[in-house]
Amino acid sequence: MPNVLTRLSNWTNARRKRVWLTLFLLILVVLVIVLTPVFLIMPFKAQTPRTMEMSYLMRRWSPWLTLMASLLVLTLTVGLWLGGRWWSRIVLVILLIPTLGATWLARQNHFEWMFNPLPNPAYVKTADASFVSDDDRVLAVTIGGESVAYPIRLMGYHHLVGDTVGGTPLVATY
Amino acid sequence: MRDEETGTWWQQVSGKAIHGPLEGHQLKAVFHDEISFAIWKREQPQGRVLKPDEKIAARDQYEAADWETRVGRMRVVEGTDVDQRLAPRTLVMGIAAGGKSIAYPLAALQKQSPIIDMVGTTPIVVVLGDDKRSVRAFERIVDGKRLEFFQKPDKNAEVQLIDAESGSTWNFEGTAIAGPLAGRQLKKLFVLEDYWFDWRLYHPDTAVYEIGPR
Repeated sequence: MPNVLTRLSNWTNARRKRVWLTLFLLILVVLVIVLTPVFLIMPFKAQTPRTMEMSYLMRRWSPWLTLMASLLVLTLTVGLWLGGRWWSRIVLVILLIPTLGATWLARQNHFEWMFNPLPNPAYVKTADASFVSDDDRVLAVTIGGESVAYPIRLMGYHHLVGDTVGGTPLVATY
Repeated sequence: MRDEETGTWWQQVSGKAIHGPLEGHQLKAVFHDEISFAIWKREQPQGRVLKPDEKIAARDQYEAADWETRVGRMRVVEGTDVDQRLAPRTLVMGIAAGGKSIAYPLAALQKQSPIIDMVGTTPIVVVLGDDKRSVRAFERIVDGKRLEFFQKPDKNAEVQLIDAESGSTWNFEGTAIAGPLAGRQLKKLFVLEDYWFDWRLYHPDTAVYEIGPR
């Protein structure tokens, strides 16, 4: 291990420049691959089948690609850190933020942050449902003599509620 | 929507698996209504109602009472080659049967109810509730015979239909409550309440109901 570290710290100036360039390009690629789908899949914006296809292709590959890129970036960072001046070390640390951030974002579905499911749905009797007014709309299900109303004002937030009505497991969705 | 077990993506409107390990599978649709709470509690006093989550209610994150007006004003992004028989955010009551489909604009039903119609070969009746907002549809066949309906002219009471063949009285649930057919139940048809721009996507060959000249 000390041998590797010595070799890394003995990089020539020309070599250090090439490594810096590679580092910047890697980070740029990571950001493009993670952020492009975020912009293309934005709601209330025109979308085409082609841009959708591209977005989902990027989303499918980005968890794996960002992981590989992060490992590469970390390796190059170690190399540049050894034998680097204090200011270049600061730049290296700052560059790690977008890299690791994008690697994390590639494993998230940011649309699922907005729509919170209801893990333990609770119910009240019709007569006690003072939180619903007469004009409010409900999704209504009756199975085997059991009737349930899912107020749309609540469904517009949760979008999905799992339930069992009259013995039938179902998902109410809006 | 995505299931936690396999990560498959399901199309909400159809229950079809469109991407992932279960692609091609289809969830069975459960019959449901989209109605006003006033009508629901009259019909189902023994039912149960989903309760708001206290934390989310405290943060005021649930939809406001006027959500429908606000959503109705939201913009729609659409191409130039789309079916423009109606404005994109026209509220329609969509009914499909035997591969055919018809979109009934809510505004048409508010002017004319019941509507006696055919979807393909299925004879149907579409009815507006006394809230002037909720819509139900039924197959208008009893014992192999087609029925024609008209509304009992009482503006303030619950909706009651009378069939021209037997003179029986029917309620908004499609149940005959008086007359020779008392106790009989019309088959309920699923009505998808949707905006025109969405309905036309899933039913590109849909007909649009228009009130004819009187």
